[in-house]
Order: sequence, then C-alpha cells, then structure tokens
Amino acid sequence: MTEIKTEVQSSSPAERGPIAMQLHDVAVSFHGRVAVRDCTFDVAKNRVTSLIGPSGSGKTTLLRALNRLHDLTPGAKVSGKITLEGTDIYRGNLTVTELRTRVGMVFQRPNPFPTMSIYDNVVSGLRFNGVKKKSLLDESAEASLRSAALWDSVSSRLKVAASNLSGGEQQRLCIARALALDPEVLLMDEPTSALDPIATLHIEELMKDLKSRVTVIIVTHNMQQAARISDDCAFLLMGEDRAGELIEFDTTEKIFNNPDDSRTLDYTLGRFG
Amino acid sequence: MSNLIDLEEPKDTGHDMRAEIRRTSERVRARRVATSRIMVVLCSVALLVAAVPLVLLMYQLFKQGLGQINWKFFTTLPTTPTLIDPTGTGGISNDIIGTIALTVYASIVAIPLGVLVGVYLAETDSKLATTLRVVSQTMAGAPSILMGLFAFSLIVHDLNVGFSSIAGAFALAVLMLPVIIISTEIAVRNVPLTLREAGLALGAKSHKVSLGIVLPSALTGIVTGVILAISRAVGETAPVLLVIGGGYTNSWKPFDPVSSMPLAIFENAKSEWPSQRAQVWGIALVLVIFVFILSLTARIWASRKQQVRN
Repeated sequence: MTEIKTEVQSSSPAERGPIAMQLHDVAVSFHGRVAVRDCTFDVAKNRVTSLIGPSGSGKTTLLRALNRLHDLTPGAKVSGKITLEGTDIYRGNLTVTELRTRVGMVFQRPNPFPTMSIYDNVVSGLRFNGVKKKSLLDESAEASLRSAALWDSVSSRLKVAASNLSGGEQQRLCIARALALDPEVLLMDEPTSALDPIATLHIEELMKDLKSRVTVIIVTHNMQQAARISDDCAFLLMGEDRAGELIEFDTTEKIFNNPDDSRTLDYTLGRFG
Repeated sequence: MSNLIDLEEPKDTGHDMRAEIRRTSERVRARRVATSRIMVVLCSVALLVAAVPLVLLMYQLFKQGLGQINWKFFTTLPTTPTLIDPTGTGGISNDIIGTIALTVYASIVAIPLGVLVGVYLAETDSKLATTLRVVSQTMAGAPSILMGLFAFSLIVHDLNVGFSSIAGAFALAVLMLPVIIISTEIAVRNVPLTLREAGLALGAKSHKVSLGIVLPSALTGIVTGVILAISRAVGETAPVLLVIGGGYTNSWKPFDPVSSMPLAIFENAKSEWPSQRAQVWGIALVLVIFVFILSLTARIWASRKQQVRN
C-alpha cells in the first residue's frame, strides 16, 4: 500500500527542492484533548503550502504550532517533532523569540498596532528585536512596504495612524510588518477571509511574488484559493473523536485532480465541508 | 398539524394557518405599540424626576456661589469675621493650594503604583493576583473616613509626622489606588488578544509586548480611570478631615498642615457668621468647576485618541 502511494506521487520531496520545515507526527492537544494529530509532511522551500479542510479540522491549530504561538495558551501541548532548517523548534537550540523572527505570521483579521503609525508598524518587529538605527529602519520600511505592494499608496503618509488604512491595506501592512524581519517562512492564517474580493486578489498576487524570497504556509477555507496559489497542499479532516488529522499531503495539482483518498476528492469537489 | 412536513395536507388548511398567523401578529404588534408608548412616557417622567434635584442643585450653587467669587477670593487667605467687619471672610487661596498639593502628592504615588498593579493583575493569573484583586475591590467600596482614620493612626500618630499634607495625600492615595487598579486592569484586559499575538509573532519578548503594545492601546481607558480617581480625591472631605490640620497658610510643603476646599466647606458651614456660611457656596462652585474641567479634559482627550484610532 505504502509502496504504491510513493509510486503514484507526482513529485517526490527531492523534486520539490530543499526543505524549509519538517513535521513529524505532530499533534496538538489542549488540556489533554487532542485537537489535531498525525501530521507528517515536509514544507518545501520557496513554495506555497496550503492547509485545507473543513472547520474543526485543526488547520489553524497546526499552523500556530509552527511558530510556538500555543506556548501562551494554558494547557496546550505540542507533541511530535517540528524542525526549521533541521533544528527542532521545541527542543532544539533555538529561542522562541528567534524562532518567531525566522517564522513570521499574518493573522486572519488585519491586526496592525492601533496606536502606531504605518511606519512604526512596519518597523515594530525590528525595534522589538533591538534595531535602533534610523537609516536601517527607514531602508527596511521601504523595502518591506514595496514587497507588500503598499509603498506607492502609503509612502506619502507613513506617519499616519495605521488604522486609517482600508482592510486590505491593513492586511498588506501586516504582511510588510512580518517581512521586515526577513523571515524564512511566512505563516498565513486565512489572510483574506476578512477581505473583499478585490483585496483578496491583491493578497493572492502578492503571495505568488513573495515565494521567491520566503516559504509560505497558508491556511485557507477557500478551496479555489488553495488551488490558485499553492504548490503543495495538506488536507485535514476531523476524525470520529472530533480531533483533526492529516488525511493527505501532496502537490496541489494531485490533491485537486487525482487524490489518493476518496475523502480528499469529496472535499475538493465540494461534496461536504 | 401534527406532522409539519406532511405533503398530503390540503391547501385550504395552510391558508387558514396563514390568516391566523397574520391576525395574531397584528394583534401582538398593536399591543406592543401601545406598550412602547406607555414606556416612553414613563421613561420621560423618570428622567424629569431624576433631573429635578440635579437642576435645583446647580441653580442653588450658581445663584449663591457666583456672588462670592472675585479675584480676591482666589488670592487671599481666609480671615475670621469680626463685629467691626462681619463680612470679612477673606479668600480661599490656602484651600486651593492645599487641594492641589494634596491631589498632586497623592497622584505621584497612586498613579504609577495603581497602573503597575493593574497591569500585573491583567497579565497574570497567580494566587497573589487574585488576592490583590479581591483586596482592591473591597477597598474600593470601603468608607472613605476609614482611609482618614488609617492615615491618622499610621502617619500622624505612629510615625509622628503630625498634621500635614503628606498625611492627607497618603489617605487620598489609598482611596485612589483601587479605582486606578480596577480601571487599569479592565482597560488592559480589553486590549484584544490578537494585538498581543501580533507582537509575540514578531519575536517580541512578553514584557516588550506589554509595554510597547498593550499599555499604549489601553492608555485611553487607563487615563479615564486615573482622572476619575483624581476627581474623586479632589472632592473628598472625610479622608483628609482628621489628618491635614486645616492650615491657614499658603503652603506647598508636604510636612506643613494645610486646608482643602472640601474641608473649608465643612468648617465654614458650621460657622456662626452668616458671611462664612454664605462663602461655602463660593467654595463649592470653585470645587465643582475644578472637577468639571478635569473630567471634561479627560473626555475630550479620550475621544480625540479614539478618533485617531478609528
């Protein structure tokens, strides 16, 4: 069974290039209750990996394990092994703050810091990590805003409060804020679910551009979005005991056209979820 | 009727049902409109009844108080009327200075301490935090004369400091603390978790997130609480009654006895001289305007901040 699977896979890890993050038998539980489990897959560098599945399948929970955001939640426990460039992020020689500068995150709702200006928002990550030199901050702010396709519309009003921007612009600001730290991996938790279709399109185009410099892992509810923008795709589903589990991981092309598991096919065809 | 999805049900029953639903809803709507009108009338009457004492108070305050106020009222010390000069009540400069001194000294201690404790309560869930919360909630409801008694026995008597503005400031600080602690905790807790997460996801250490993101975001709420506490302290008589000594000099020194506007009202109201009893309204008016300006400033400031954010 396993052998056949390997044979059918349209692209082996080797074909997908070097690995950014590796998940081995990852499970997350809250107060002993398993929320997601059995997650084993490799995230290839400079590709977009999407996590799809119906509500409750543990996509967001899994994503938040990748930058140790569960550390804050009392009773949360992450088991299994997650590595970043070969270093175990939970047990390895890597502080949680360093990890988070290397693995950035964009949240479901745009969350710019309301008391800060656009400029201060973009450089906030650098400042938190001790960068004070003005010229360096200026340079990084411009580069990050350009990468997030926001520079042209905000360059003349950098000192304006970030809350004056539209929802789509705020989300791009959050992307710029994450990019300012020059992360290797960018986690995106349904980054367009709070945005209108035009803003969504902008963000999607942005993601395609970004992957040349950063590995993107995105959680999405929107299957068309996963099909449009991702190269690899992990399909999660809630099991009998209400715990999410990984059903299938492969290239997006295979997941959407010729998946191994019938449940994957049913989901991508919209038969449930 | 027992089976709602019975497709065999004849059509006219459905018709009857719809007509009955319409009749019932019309009847209920008519009743609700009537109830609504009665409630509006009741609410308006209640508003008028509640407004009467307030309006009367303000009327009395301005009618009796305005005449008392002139430049000398603010700049001179009080004098005791004599038979030769029965209207010679002097000014209240010492009371104004005393009130400001007491409030400033109390604020210097209570604001930073209260804000820090409030942040601590909001950010941790330790046993100590729970205890502190219960203590401050209890203290917030404690009668204010208790603070005065405490300050008297500890500062004036045990530490032998004597009647002084520092003793009064201590009592007021104890009074202000719970108000500041509670409002700070609420303001900090109201900062959305998503902002905190955004900071942490940028690799910020948690104390940097608290200071750099959470505290500035909660600032409006904290300042509102602080102003509320100050306004309360400015107008309190009971805590300072026993400890400030009612000084008749213009002194900013913390170890001098001072007077305050509420205390002057308390003392003058008991006077045998009609002129001193009348002066009470002038002092009250100044005090009310003082508190009004404070809270107005806070409100304007808070709404400006809010606008910037929206």
